[in-house]
Amino acid sequence: MGTATARRPSVLRMAGGGVHFDGLKAVDDVSIEVRSGQVVGLIGPNGSGKTTTLNLLSGMLRASAGTIRLDDVDLTSMSMRKRVRLGVVRTFQSGRVFARLTVLENVEAAALGSGLGRRRARALAAGIIDELGLRPDADRRAESLTAGRIRITAIARALACRPRFLLLDEPAAGQNESEAVSLIRSIRGFAQDRDCGVLLVEHDMAVVMQTCDHLHVLDSGRTVAEGAPADVRRDPRVIEIYFGKRH
Amino acid sequence: MKMFASSSRSAQTPILLVCLGLLTALVGATAGLTVGRVAMVTLISLVFVIGQSTFTGNSGVMSFGHVAFMAIGAYTTAYLTIPVPLKGVLFAELPHSLRFLAHVHAPFIPAVLLSGLAALVLGLVTAPVVARLSGLQSGIATLALLVVVYNVLNSWTAVTRGSSSMIGIPRNTTTWLAFAFVVAAVIVSWAYKKSRSGLQLQASREDYWAAVASGVAVGRHRAVAWILSAFLCGVSGSLYAGFLMSFNVNAFFLSATFAFTVMIVIGGYLSLSGAVVGAVAVSVLQEFLRRLQDGEFTGGSALPAGLADLLLAAVLLIVLIKAPLGLMGVRELRLPGRRRSQRAEAAKGAAGAEGEVRAPV
Repeated sequence: MGTATARRPSVLRMAGGGVHFDGLKAVDDVSIEVRSGQVVGLIGPNGSGKTTTLNLLSGMLRASAGTIRLDDVDLTSMSMRKRVRLGVVRTFQSGRVFARLTVLENVEAAALGSGLGRRRARALAAGIIDELGLRPDADRRAESLTAGRIRITAIARALACRPRFLLLDEPAAGQNESEAVSLIRSIRGFAQDRDCGVLLVEHDMAVVMQTCDHLHVLDSGRTVAEGAPADVRRDPRVIEIYFGKRH
Repeated sequence: MKMFASSSRSAQTPILLVCLGLLTALVGATAGLTVGRVAMVTLISLVFVIGQSTFTGNSGVMSFGHVAFMAIGAYTTAYLTIPVPLKGVLFAELPHSLRFLAHVHAPFIPAVLLSGLAALVLGLVTAPVVARLSGLQSGIATLALLVVVYNVLNSWTAVTRGSSSMIGIPRNTTTWLAFAFVVAAVIVSWAYKKSRSGLQLQASREDYWAAVASGVAVGRHRAVAWILSAFLCGVSGSLYAGFLMSFNVNAFFLSATFAFTVMIVIGGYLSLSGAVVGAVAVSVLQEFLRRLQDGEFTGGSALPAGLADLLLAAVLLIVLIKAPLGLMGVRELRLPGRRRSQRAEAAKGAAGAEGEVRAPV
């Protein structure tokens, strides 16, 4: 189903975004931008605000400060469902598949949720299932899948929403080596073939370095570095975050 | 090679459920008066639990208020089928604006459908609230609906006769008519489960936020299921009125709610088959316990009153402990051969995935 679509290039942009819980600034003044066809990595240590940033962009959390825009459309106070309809689609850290539905039903429900009719939803779901190699599991309940297959099912479900921007929260967690390699290839494919912007939150640095065009590094809810992967890995602040201060 | 499970296999479930209803109807039509009465109440209960399951099974949201729809159905049927001259006597004090009700009359089958529609209207009015709630909030809100409807029916004496009985309803509910409505309810409920709205609602049952993140309008689909289930429960109330010929408001309160909840919980509140199996199993069990209490199996010596209810409560507790999702869980009835092949397929899949980590879901 990896058909290229002639869509106008889009930009998903958060400017000065922040979320505060009772005075605690979980994310503070973060500006991040993803363009169509680009894979942006969002990295940082545990608790640095990566998932919170993704929650802000997807609409699961309302921003306490800043704005979120998709091209000219202001998403800042828009519901998650409306953002999905505009093409801003996310996955979750733990997969969160519809456990007692089959893999096909998982993907089909998302295609229906994006507004397709029954027949088109079924065809789209079948195509995505084939594309991601889920065909042998199509009629199995999602609760019976392995961790890796659950993550792939969650990605398939997100693709069924026909995303313009795909926000992936640790998709490589629980994947074995061959699945991770295949995942890297798939994520690059989503960006190139579907002209889809991807924001990738990931701990596995090998996956991040091989997949991303641009990196954004967070620590304690604030941006500490951003740029091309090769530059970011040499940035002293990033080295300090990941390896500690050199004395 | 076929990629997906075929729809003909999926059609097994409604056929088997109808067969279970047919068995109940055959028992009712051929057995004596007492068993016939039990079979009839079972068939009417089947329409009710299928109705409630249309909402609870697909949404995963428990309701304690569906008996209110049954009550609306029963009272509507009473108004539509009690002979007009008798209504003139029974409802002499109707408010001026409702005087026309004393003169309306309808044949039974249209009356059943209109009773379902009356319940549907109540479902329509309450849907915006129910669609926004889940978990404990939903339990309390639906119970509140039951209490509100009960109190209105109990207090609006000029229209509902309050705590006095509604009498003079012609006996129109026959075993085969009740069975026909069981068939219709199974078809409607199964069609909804397999519909676009049904699938999206089941997705929200599994994970609310993941469903919203997939673009599912959870509230809208909950409202659709709620309204549909209101209609079916209204129909069951109508059939109940046409069977009993007289009833009062207490027939539609806590004890009925408890009885139907036991059926749905024992069978499995997440599946249509669970509701149907639960209704049949609990009806049979109740009749067995009643006979046990009356001394039929103990040489004529009656056991203490209330023992039947106590044993039923014990069965409910055991099921809740041993199988929290009921006898059926989320499964639907299928022919045994299919289930075996499903298990073999699952085992094959598990063997193929050996060595990989299984994720907590």
